[in-house]
Amino acid sequence: MKGIQLGEFEEIVLLTVGVLHGTAYGVAIKDEIEQRLHREVAIGALQVTLRRLESKGFLKSKQGDTNETRRGRPKLFFEVTAYGKKALEYSKESRDELWKALPKLVLKLK
Amino acid sequence: MRRADPPRFILRFLKWFCRPDYHIHIEGDLLEIYDRRVEDLGRSQANLRLYKDVILLCRPGILRSARFDQPLTINGMFKSYFVIGWRSLWKSKLYSTLNVLGLTFGMTCFLLIGIYVYDELNFDTHHKDGDRIYRVITNEKNPNNEATTVAAAGYMLAEEATQALPEVEMTARMQRSGRGNLIDPENPVHVQETITIADENFLQLFDFPVLEGDKRTALAEPNTIVITEDLAVRIFARKDVINKNVQFEHMETPLKITAVLKNHPQNSSFSFTSVMSIATLLNDENFKRDAQSDWASTSFTVYTLLRPDANPDSVSRKITRLVHGNATLEPGTMLSHSMQPLKDIHLKSAGIADGARNSNVDNIPQGNPVYITVFSFTAIFVLLIAGINYTNLTTARASSRLKEIGVRKAIGAVRGNLVKQFLIESLITTVIAFFISVLIVALLLPVFNDFVDKKFELFTSVGFVFWAAAVALIIAIGLLSGGYAAILLSRFNPVSLLKGLKVKSGGDFSVRKALVVLQFTISTIMIIGTIVLFMQVRFLNDSELGFDKNLMVVIDVNVAKARSNFEWVKNEMSKVSAVKHVSATSRVPGEWKSIPRIKLKTEGSTRELQMAYTIAADKDFLGTYEIELLKGRNFQNDSDTMSVIINEAAAKMLGITDVSNEVMIPQVARNQFFTPIYDDANTSFNPRVVGIVKDFHFQSLRAKIEPLILTYHSNPIFPIDYYSVKIYPQNIQPTLDKLKAIMLLNDEREPFEYHFLDDQLALFYIEDQRSQTILGWVAIASVVIACLGLFGLATYSAEQRLKEIGMRKVLGANLLSIIALLSKDFVKLVLIACCIAFPVAWLGATLWLQEYAYHINIEWWVFPLAGIIATGIALLTVSYQAIKAAVVNPVKILRSE
Repeated sequence: MKGIQLGEFEEIVLLTVGVLHGTAYGVAIKDEIEQRLHREVAIGALQVTLRRLESKGFLKSKQGDTNETRRGRPKLFFEVTAYGKKALEYSKESRDELWKALPKLVLKLK
Repeated sequence: MRRADPPRFILRFLKWFCRPDYHIHIEGDLLEIYDRRVEDLGRSQANLRLYKDVILLCRPGILRSARFDQPLTINGMFKSYFVIGWRSLWKSKLYSTLNVLGLTFGMTCFLLIGIYVYDELNFDTHHKDGDRIYRVITNEKNPNNEATTVAAAGYMLAEEATQALPEVEMTARMQRSGRGNLIDPENPVHVQETITIADENFLQLFDFPVLEGDKRTALAEPNTIVITEDLAVRIFARKDVINKNVQFEHMETPLKITAVLKNHPQNSSFSFTSVMSIATLLNDENFKRDAQSDWASTSFTVYTLLRPDANPDSVSRKITRLVHGNATLEPGTMLSHSMQPLKDIHLKSAGIADGARNSNVDNIPQGNPVYITVFSFTAIFVLLIAGINYTNLTTARASSRLKEIGVRKAIGAVRGNLVKQFLIESLITTVIAFFISVLIVALLLPVFNDFVDKKFELFTSVGFVFWAAAVALIIAIGLLSGGYAAILLSRFNPVSLLKGLKVKSGGDFSVRKALVVLQFTISTIMIIGTIVLFMQVRFLNDSELGFDKNLMVVIDVNVAKARSNFEWVKNEMSKVSAVKHVSATSRVPGEWKSIPRIKLKTEGSTRELQMAYTIAADKDFLGTYEIELLKGRNFQNDSDTMSVIINEAAAKMLGITDVSNEVMIPQVARNQFFTPIYDDANTSFNPRVVGIVKDFHFQSLRAKIEPLILTYHSNPIFPIDYYSVKIYPQNIQPTLDKLKAIMLLNDEREPFEYHFLDDQLALFYIEDQRSQTILGWVAIASVVIACLGLFGLATYSAEQRLKEIGMRKVLGANLLSIIALLSKDFVKLVLIACCIAFPVAWLGATLWLQEYAYHINIEWWVFPLAGIIATGIALLTVSYQAIKAAVVNPVKILRSE
């Protein structure tokens, strides 16, 4: 299942697109991640990741209407594809499996 | 509220590097965040963060790939032009080769001549303030109305001009006072050097690069000297000789070397190897006294550095006034000064005597502006011929590309596209030819250097400017020669092209004819020029000089004892078995240093004094040089000190028909100016004429034979300065060794400087010889280029007329008539060219020959000869194609239709 493995930032972006369901475009995704996870997101990193996810087929994009707040530049909305969901599920399952295998003792040793 | 706009350049930068399909959305995101930040943080913070974001966007995945993946713009067509241009060159290999070959020939000639001319035109340009440096020229007219123009002036003029005239920033004096042995006192090697003296400003005014030492103080002190690295190596065999001592053998005090200069570049009018400080001479009270009253002499070459805004004409008027205010001039003398720019010294010094030098110092070598002009024109003409070739061949071949042009136009090419396409094709050809010719120039340069006696290197000798100009000119030639074809070919109507109608281009053909005529006119002129030049040079070298120049060794008298003890030397030399005759003279026929002049008249004559040249000679002079004595007798012994022998020209001038007249010689000019022979100006040297000799060419053949007075070797005018030794042709080197041994035995400090007289005489005409060879090669090149073009045209016209030839043959035409048919047109053109070339060449050659007092007459046969050469070569070129076309089996040609 090598093709659907996700990187850490990829997973976050993909999940966030899912969270924003239908209103996910560049700035919105960036804001969402920054608010929820308290981490800086560089536009460049975000854009590259979005495009990569799109080219792998995890995301699909759709051009929105032009908007005065963006001085006439259209938004590009992203949506998680079925394949993307599968990738997210795979990612979650593999983590869960690892969690389950984790001896209780390790967690208590905090 | 007005929205704050982000800086435009950063968005443009983003657009430039960002993948176009991502760009608009990324920009949208950035702007949205930007607007938000402006509100939250203010404009400048927002700007800063925008910069940061954009810079962080420069990452793989967002950067666009290189431009050629972009959709084709209008400029993208250029790629296609190059591809097509290359293909069509490749397709017609014969014509492309002819084109490239022609252009290569032309450019090679152009570059070689160009390098030479550039060098000549850029003499003395390496001084920083060179455009403000002027040489002071003295124009003097004596009471007898004899005018002299000499590049020299007085000591005080230079001294005072800086103070008296605010326009003059600095002056420097230089004098070449003679020749002497400059030696290392500890290890003397006897080599004669020109003694150059200059003041302390000399090294500051000019920028002679200094290897070691301080140029500001180097010539300030007495007994100091500055030498060049070459001389340092010659004397000490090393270059770090600062603070060492050298000494001129005739002087008592040693001189301290205060600076070592780099050698002069080849395009410098200065050739001194050492400069002694004037302060050295000022120690001498006599010199000092003379110098301080010297306003109007011509003892020094004076260079002035003017302030940037100074007007040289007004400065020269002021200097003239300054001199008149201080000098005491002989009544009736007119004296004025003018300023010659430094850069004019090499090429524009005709009529200006090189002053401030002893008569045994060589002149500053001059360039010949006539040859420079001729060369420049020929260089441009050759390039022109090559360009014309290209135009001719391309237009001639137009019809074979008509279909291509038609198709291009039909699918939307506008005229501009086609013009560009053809121009690019011609540029490709030009550039290929240019690189090949640079390669050839690089290969030929050593030979060329040998021949013009220069040391050119491909890139270092001529500056960047030269190459930039050459490239620009060559691109211009490419565009011009491609331009006509481009405009012509793009004009046609596409419908008629595609229908296959023959385009009538009568007008075009006549232009082509005119161009062929022009090419051959230039070629024929060059052929004639070369023949005339060749004949004149041969005439100069072979003509009867009136004396025997062959196997004559001329030895300079450089040490005092060689002069005083000359009887012994002569005697010893004549004992050498290989020596035929020996003679001692002050100057020799064909002299390369200046020959002193005297003023004289016959005793009791009431006429004005007249001018003649003078050579002092002993009794063996006439025999050694085989000069014919017409009347009277030769010198016999020391009782002849009051005798002179004159030449025919002098006899005619003085009105002497028979010997035994007495002449009065009151004045002599050892340099430019006449001075009394004796201290008492009223007495004169009054010798008796004892013989008259036949005229002989004691000067270059450029000059007429002037009156000449031969005085006996001991005379008050000029001492002996040379031994002339006539030797037998066998074992020349051992003979020379023996002569040297005798001179050394006489004085061990003898440097033994000798010349072969015929070599020295040939030096008079070396420029002509060179020009002849250069012109010869250029003529050959131009004929070859023109023939390449003609060959191309003939090939093409034969191809076009193949069907016609086939028909004619079927109907019974014979070989000869077909050859004639094809050749006729071209030969006609060449004949027209000859008709134009003859008068032009005649005029040019006549003008040039007038420069020589003794020259050939242009023979009538030169013209037909050149005509026959041009026509013959053209005919050969054309008939090759004509014959090839004529012998083709007509069945083969006609079968296809």
